[in-house]
Order: sequence, then C-alpha cells, then structure tokens
Amino acid sequence: NFRAQSSGPHREGELRGPKVVTMTKLAQWLWGLAILGSIWAVLTMGSLGLELPSSYQEVLWPLPAYLLVSAGCYALGIVGYRVATFHDCEDAARELQSQIQEARADLVRKGLRF
Amino acid sequence: QATGTDQVVGLGLVAISLIIFTYYTAWVILLPFIDSQHVIHKYFLPRAYAVAIPLAVGLLLLLFVGLFITYVMLKNQRVTKKTQ
Repeated sequence: NFRAQSSGPHREGELRGPKVVTMTKLAQWLWGLAILGSIWAVLTMGSLGLELPSSYQEVLWPLPAYLLVSAGCYALGIVGYRVATFHDCEDAARELQSQIQEARADLVRKGLRF
Repeated sequence: QATGTDQVVGLGLVAISLIIFTYYTAWVILLPFIDSQHVIHKYFLPRAYAVAIPLAVGLLLLLFVGLFITYVMLKNQRVTKKTQ
C-alpha cells in the first residue's frame, strides 16, 4: 500500500465531503528532504544574516554527508540484526502446505492431472 | 533458524555499523567544539575527508551496482537468445 494517507473508499454518489490530500510515500520523503535541504542551504549560505560561531558553521556544512552516513549505518545495522535473529516461520510453512494441498485437490476435481 | 555463523556475521554487521556511526559522529559533530590544540585531533583526518570519503565510497558502490546490473542483463540476453 503506497498511499500513506488514503482518502478512504471513493463512493460514486459522494459529491460533497472534506477534501483529503493524498500523498505517496515517495512524495512525502521528497518534500521532507527538500525542506531540510533548503533550511540547510539557507543556514550554510548565511543569507539570513545570522552570525553563527565558527564551530557551528564547521558542524553545519557536512550535515548532508552526516545524514547519508547515518542512514547507511542504520540500514547496515538493520540487515545485521535481521541476519542474527533469523528464524523459521513454521506456522506459515504449515499454512502454505495446507493451501497447496487444497489447491491441488481443487485442480484434480476440475480434471487436471499432475 | 539462524545458525552460529549467521549470528556472528549479523552481530558483526551491527557492531561495524555502530562503530562507524560513533566514530563519524565524534568526527563531524563533536570535534569542532573541542579545542584545536587537543590531542584528540591526532586521531582524525582533516575535515574535508569527512565528506570526501563517504562520497567516494558511495560513487564506487553505485559503479559496482551498475556494473553488476549490466553483467546480469547481458547474461540474461545471451541465455534467452540461446533458448530461442
């Protein structure tokens, strides 16, 4: 389901109603990144006329790279954690097997030979 | 079920990511607030590398992924031609 905020089921006769803005997950992320990026750009360019201390400026300019590295570390950590705690899904396997049997029986009833 | 090797590899990955994250945070966020004469500055590269290294690694990764994809697609093409 790619819609983060769905407007609910569309009914044909529904003419009036609150207009709900739908935005895909991708659009949400792009907006967030664009807003953060513009804030960063404004602060780095110093177009607000703020006199930031030099140590703050030093922290500010590599922040996009920092964000990227943090995201990479998070992804790596999640992958590692899932590898370490990998487990068999026995219930799901049993359910799948029973569904396969059911489908086979159904197909045999309809005249398919395996 | 995760075997012993899986657990070692997985926890190793988690540990690597935590180490990189703490080192990079210290490098980028904490270091500017520490006096430039302090000994700790000897353990970190100059600040320009804090952006250059991730950039270079990311570009290498993208290049690798692109090469891999082209390799797989070319191989697939050859296989489908053979079967036809």
